[in-house]
Amino acid sequence: MGKGLKTLLVILGILLLIVFAAYSFLKGTYNTLVTMDESVKGAWAQVENQLQRRYDLIPNYVETVKGYAKHEKEVFVKVTEARSKVAGATTISDKIQANNQLTSALGRLLLVVERYPELKANTNFIRLQDELAGTENRIAVERRRFNEMVKTYNIKVRKFPTNILAGMFGFEKADFFEVPKERQAAPKVKF
Amino acid sequence: MVLLSAIFLFCLIPISAVKAERPFPKPKGLVNDFANVISPAYLQKLTAVTGALFQKTGIPVVVVTMPDIGGAEYNDYANRLYKAWGIGKKGEDKGVLIFVTVKERKMRIETGYGVEGILPDGLVGEIRDRYMTPFLKQDKFGEGLFAGALAVARVIAKASGIELSGQMPKKTVKKRGGFSFFPIIIILIIIMLISKRRGGSWFFFLPLLFGLSGGGGSGSRYSSGGSGGSFGGFGGGFGGFGGGMSGGGGAGGGF
Repeated sequence: MGKGLKTLLVILGILLLIVFAAYSFLKGTYNTLVTMDESVKGAWAQVENQLQRRYDLIPNYVETVKGYAKHEKEVFVKVTEARSKVAGATTISDKIQANNQLTSALGRLLLVVERYPELKANTNFIRLQDELAGTENRIAVERRRFNEMVKTYNIKVRKFPTNILAGMFGFEKADFFEVPKERQAAPKVKF
Repeated sequence: MVLLSAIFLFCLIPISAVKAERPFPKPKGLVNDFANVISPAYLQKLTAVTGALFQKTGIPVVVVTMPDIGGAEYNDYANRLYKAWGIGKKGEDKGVLIFVTVKERKMRIETGYGVEGILPDGLVGEIRDRYMTPFLKQDKFGEGLFAGALAVARVIAKASGIELSGQMPKKTVKKRGGFSFFPIIIILIIIMLISKRRGGSWFFFLPLLFGLSGGGGSGSRYSSGGSGGSFGGFGGGFGGFGGGMSGGGGAGGGF
């Protein structure tokens, strides 16, 4: 009886150890995934802050340009349209797409601005231009940080053995904030 | 304008392509003249003004010159450098990085998250245009950086309710063309008159005149020998900053 109890105890101990190991693995991985998921969301919130900042800045900017370049209606319409699309976007991928369109519309507006030396000499416009440039740079910075975060998270989610747990608890791969390929062949802008 | 175009182009770079290949240099203090382009006099002035501001407000205004950044995008480089050095206290994120890369001829004033309120991009852009670019264009790095640092420091000092001494360097910004022809023409006429009276040839004076007006504007470089690098402003050695971050605020551009 004494021998049988001993083996039972050993088996029980091993079982307990396995359960404990499984539990701590589960807990650790799950919590890491939650933390990373939240970090991705936090990074996205920062991106959205800056996108919102640009969104708020555009009417003022466009009005100032209009004062000097009334005839460039087409470009203004494009920017305004793109801006309202940004306002209407709800999902993250929609927002990314709408903002990419707004970026390219703004790029065209910048080329138009280039043709109006008087506008470029206007102090009010220069400040607005600096604000817009600063905002674009902020967007670039936050987008880079967001993408870096997404990359680390996606690697975690896809790697074994985390991928099993991630699948069980519904942690999905996150999308990058990508800039469309065709824009890489954008018109050459003088430096 | 150029700056905006640059940023727009920068947006086109795919995610994975942008990675800093070279490690950032270690900070030496508030003033880091890695390119050796600041004269000893201005090095001292810069150290004095940034040191005074740091002591009184705890907000670091960090000046960095780089000989080159290997063709990296300068806005991105400045932002990464800011984070790598962790300028300002973590969480507060109050700090400013004034950055110049000599070979690429680009500059940037990067503001930490915590000072974006008192140093909005428009104001930073004005500081760049009014105080820095005119000097930098003439390779007067010491003057330009000092004027920029002082302008930034004044804004911070005012917001913190403290006094800051220091005088802006005088702008000896020449007009396009380098010199005015008017006095030279007058001198020429006088010389001609004198020469005619004496019966000699006035052409003799020509090389002399052009010799006087030429020259100047050679890129000045200074060796940092003897600066010693004593940055013990806050208790023994300089171990880096406090982990502050910036979110890409500020202004930059070419010169």
